[in-house]
This record gives sequence, structure tokens and C-alpha cells, in this order.
Amino acid sequence: MTTRTPFDIPAHASSDDPRVTLDEQLGTFEPIPPYPPRTEREAEFYTLRDGEMFVNMGPQHPSTHGVLRVVLKIDGEKVVDLDPVLGYLHRGVEKLCENADYHQAICYTDPLEYISSLFCEWSPVIAFEKLLDVQVPRRAEYIRVLSGELNRIASHALFMGWFALDLGGLTPILWSFIERDEIVEMLAALTGQRMLFNYFRIGGVNGDLNHEFMSRLGTWMSKATNQINSNQALLNDNEIFVRRARGLGVMDTATALSMCMTGPNLRATGVPFDVRRAHPYSIYPELDFDIPSRTEGDCLARYLLRMDEVKQSLRIIDQCLHEMPDGPIMAKLPRLIRPRPGRAYAAIEGPRGQYATYAISDGTDQPFRMRIHDPSFVHLQTVGLLTPGNLIADTMAIMASLDPIMGGVDK
Amino acid sequence: MALKPEPVPGSNLPAVISQPRDLVEPIVVANTLWQSSNPIAYNGGQASDITHLREFEASGEGRRDNARWAGPLEIIPTKADIVLDLIRANSLWPLLSGLACCAIEMMSAATSKNDMDRWGMFPFRASPRQADVLIVAGTCTTKMAGPLVRLWEQMPEPKWCVAMGDCTCSGGRYKRSYSTIQGIDRIMPVDVYVPGCPPRPEGLIYGMMKLQQLIKDRRGHWPERAIGPTVPEDL
Ligand code: SF4
Repeated sequence: MTTRTPFDIPAHASSDDPRVTLDEQLGTFEPIPPYPPRTEREAEFYTLRDGEMFVNMGPQHPSTHGVLRVVLKIDGEKVVDLDPVLGYLHRGVEKLCENADYHQAICYTDPLEYISSLFCEWSPVIAFEKLLDVQVPRRAEYIRVLSGELNRIASHALFMGWFALDLGGLTPILWSFIERDEIVEMLAALTGQRMLFNYFRIGGVNGDLNHEFMSRLGTWMSKATNQINSNQALLNDNEIFVRRARGLGVMDTATALSMCMTGPNLRATGVPFDVRRAHPYSIYPELDFDIPSRTEGDCLARYLLRMDEVKQSLRIIDQCLHEMPDGPIMAKLPRLIRPRPGRAYAAIEGPRGQYATYAISDGTDQPFRMRIHDPSFVHLQTVGLLTPGNLIADTMAIMASLDPIMGGVDK
Repeated sequence: MALKPEPVPGSNLPAVISQPRDLVEPIVVANTLWQSSNPIAYNGGQASDITHLREFEASGEGRRDNARWAGPLEIIPTKADIVLDLIRANSLWPLLSGLACCAIEMMSAATSKNDMDRWGMFPFRASPRQADVLIVAGTCTTKMAGPLVRLWEQMPEPKWCVAMGDCTCSGGRYKRSYSTIQGIDRIMPVDVYVPGCPPRPEGLIYGMMKLQQLIKDRRGHWPERAIGPTVPEDL
């Protein structure tokens, strides 16, 4: 086999993606870009050595958790290198937020990480509240934490299903969707929507707790611990699953920190960093919960850590329900909000890590600039470090264990 | 340098920044739909439309006998056709192609609680070659439009398309974005629209039942079916 470089490739009619060329005659899917390499890294990646070949994974792929495309350079069954191609779900959220007023901007940030959308609206809401300097009523804070932790459990439940699915097991996803459907139905009774809740408002929440939500929550809470234990018995005690996930995609602490990882993925490497404790917001300082952490840093640790977090979330929900104060759920605010010029940054701890919003106000009723930091994007970049040297099938497992959501990656 | 953002008419707040370092030099982009000057980014400068299927329909190539209902079958509806249609309608194999948020509700429709399998909408196939129905679940961006049309073309006839969610029906909440397609009926034909953001799983199941009815009803009308997008080009 000879060495091929991008320079030898004839110019094709390019299709939608500038990096993909579509050879109409042969109908092949050529992952090599038709232009000369722009960086050294690109030149190195798109040069094939003896025995290597490219495999294109995505954008429609059952286990890429959305529309991610990855060009894998493989040698036999081993992944030598990989090049992720992003942008298939770029919806221009930040730009849209600048053209919407402060209330409407929250609606655009909702579908970023669609399985934990309460967290996507939580950080912009806090940022806007900082700009406006409003005090959120305590009852609203409790409701926020309560619904947020429920959403965290739903998200982790889905993670369990997807992770097992990408390792080849179909049963856990059926189990996890039972859990998830119960929680989202419950939240639908509270917020009116099953997925993109759009529930948090600047200065409070949209609606008060109602009977249906409380009765659903009570029924679910009474059996939740049992359910979670049986879910875990399905996987934690499963020899095949544990052996497959242990020692796979090991991340060490120094690299994790240098790659700016946060959330469960960082805590699985031994750093007990949690925004809820490190930079407290809302009522978290008053609540009693632990920050689980593990030291192995492999896929199994990341999975087990999330399962531990679910138990902590249950503890938080319990406390919220017991200490829920009476009072208003919205601060008194004018309809049209014009914060004074300035900037605000707000970070919160979501199920995937640190969600942050940096908003700049110029005194008008629309944000001048809104920057959204999303943990999925940060975590996805570590796939390039973790995957080389592993098998193709492990690529999916590692990616699933990092739990990226493409809506958040591409924004 | 002291920076002063443009005062907005009607704003009675002083738009003066106390500390100059509060804001950096603003990058002023007109407050309209944004288009990249880079010709290859987001189909910059062109209408955000994949015209491939439209041209295909105009060329007449797609009307050749390719296992659509054609030939004698078109003229003589028989009991066998009705039976075949019943079989097709009751064994729809959707393609597993979630694009965004709606995909989660699509999964929810397929799993334990709302088990779509009960109505013969078989669990999702990962390969377009084995699928009958393309459920477009999620925001279709200009970058994803090409691969999506390709998936549609890779599916063997007879095939159907269900647009799930506001984003695929009309653009939904991202209609004003510079990088989304305002409804996939601008790039490919659609049989059933399921609006909602996202639609409930029950909504998707209802849409699929409508599709089953449509399959039974459309018997013998295949040549009239659109190959390309159903939205006029100048819209
Ligand atoms: S319609 Fe709503 S839920 Fe569906 S993809 Fe669009 S934003 Fe997401």
C-alpha cells in the first residue's frame, strides 16, 4: 500500500459539507477533504500510513448521541486517530438570544441539552438575575432545586440506558425509559411540557407546585430507591458489563484538569469538584448532601459515579420537600426588563458538568452578547485523547461514558 | 477608549458604561438574519435549500418503474394489492435517525411505556437500506440537509417520511436562525406532519397511525406522489 496525501486527491464536486467530497460516478463517500491541509495536524491526520484506512462514522449513527460525525483512522480493528466533525446541529442559539429580549432568550437556550433542559435555562436565568440584581423568593429557589434534581435523575437514567446500549445491552434502556418517563410526566404536570420545560423565569418560576405533581412525586419517591437498586443490580452486578467497562478510557487527574473537564467526568478522576459546593448558588449551601468521587477515571467509574449522584439527588429532593417554605414564587419585576449596562457570569452544576452563561447588557431590553458554556463540548474534545489505541467498538463506549449531547456541543 | 453603545430609541436608561473595561469593542452585526461572508459556510450567499430532489423530480428520472406501483398493478387493483398494503402498513420499519431533541421523544415512543411496536411500528433500524419510514426528529440544519436527503435516497421504495416536531414542520423556534432549514418540506417530500415542540410520544404514534391509514388509502396513486420537496421554490 502506498502513502496517500490530500494533495493526490482529484477535485470532486463537493456536497453540502466542505470536508466531504461526493464522487457522483462511484458513489463513494470520501472522508478526505478536497483542499490542501490547513494545519499541520490536518496534514498528519489525512496522510495514510501502511495498513491504515479511514472509516466514516456518522452523522447518522445510532450511537453518536445525535448528529456527530467522526472520521476514524483505523489500523485493523484499532483506532489510530480520529477527527470529529461538528456543526451538524448548529442552530445559532447565541445569535438568536441577542435578537430576543431577556425572557425570550431563555426559551432559545432550552433545547441545548435537551435531556436536562432545566439546567440550560437555570444558568442564563441566574445571570440575568445578577444583571438585574433581583432577589429570588425562597420558595421559588426550593422549587427550582426540586425540579432540577428530578431532571438530573432523569438525565442520569437516560445515561444508564445509553451507555449500556452502546456496550450492546438492550434491556437497560427499556428500564431507564420507565424511570425517565415517570419523571418527565411528573415535571409535565408541574411545568406543562415533557422535555423543554421553559419553566424558570427571571426572578422565580412559572407555576407553583400542584396536586398532580405532588401525588405523582409521592408515588414515585416511595418506590424510587427500590427501582434504582434494581436498575443497578441489572448492571453493577453484571460480570460482562463490569469487565467491559473497567479500565476502558482511563483519564488521569492532571489531563482532566488541563482539559477543563467538570462534573461527573472530573469527579470520576478523583477531584471532588462540584459547583454546588465550590461556588454555591441557590439554596445548595443549606442542603445536606455529599459529593461522591472516585479515583479510577475509567468508564466504569464514570457510570458508578452517576449512579451515586442519583442517590444524593434523592436526598436533596427529600430535604426540599420537608423544608419547602411558603411564600411567593416570583419576584416583583416589570414586564419589559432593561438591566443596567454590565456583565454577569453564572455557573451551575448540571448532570454533565458546569453550565455557564456570560451575559453582557448594554442597557437595552436585549442581551448585547450571550455566551453559553456547555460541558458536552468540553468533554467531547477528550475523546481524541481517550480513544486512540482502543478498538472501534470502544470508541462508542468511551463517548457514551462521557455523555455528550450534541445539541449542547454545536449550540 | 470609552465605549458608548448605540442608544436604542425608547430606552430612557442612560446607556453609559461606568468602567470602560466592562465592554470590549462591539462587533456590530446587523440585527437581521445573519449570513456568512465565507462562501462555504452555511451555504452563505445561497438560498438555504438543497435543490437536488427538486431537480430530480423535474428531470422525470424518478418516474421510471422502480418497484413503485406501476404497470398492470396501477390499472387493476386486486385483492392482492390490498393485502400487500395491509402488510406494509402494519409493519413499518422506521429509520433510527434522531437529529435533536425530538429524537428523545421518538425513543420514548419506542420504549417501554408507549411501546410503538404494539401497532406494528417495528423497532428502529439503524441502516436506511432496511427502513420504510424516515422519521425526521429534530432540527435540520443546512449542514445536515445533505446527509438527510442522502439517507432518504438510500431508502428503498416504497418509503414514507414523517416530519416530527415544529423544527421539521416549519422551522419552529429556530425559524429565524441563519443555519436551519425552515421545514424539511423544502428539501424532501413529507407525508405526515406531527407538530409540537416536542410532540408527545402519543402524538408521534397518532401520526404514524395516520401514515398507516395513508398507506392504505394511497393505493394506486403512486405516480402522483411527490419525489421532490412539496414547498414551492419561491416561498
Ligand atoms: S421541535 Fe422543539 S423539541 Fe423538536 S427539535 Fe425542534 S426545538 Fe427540539
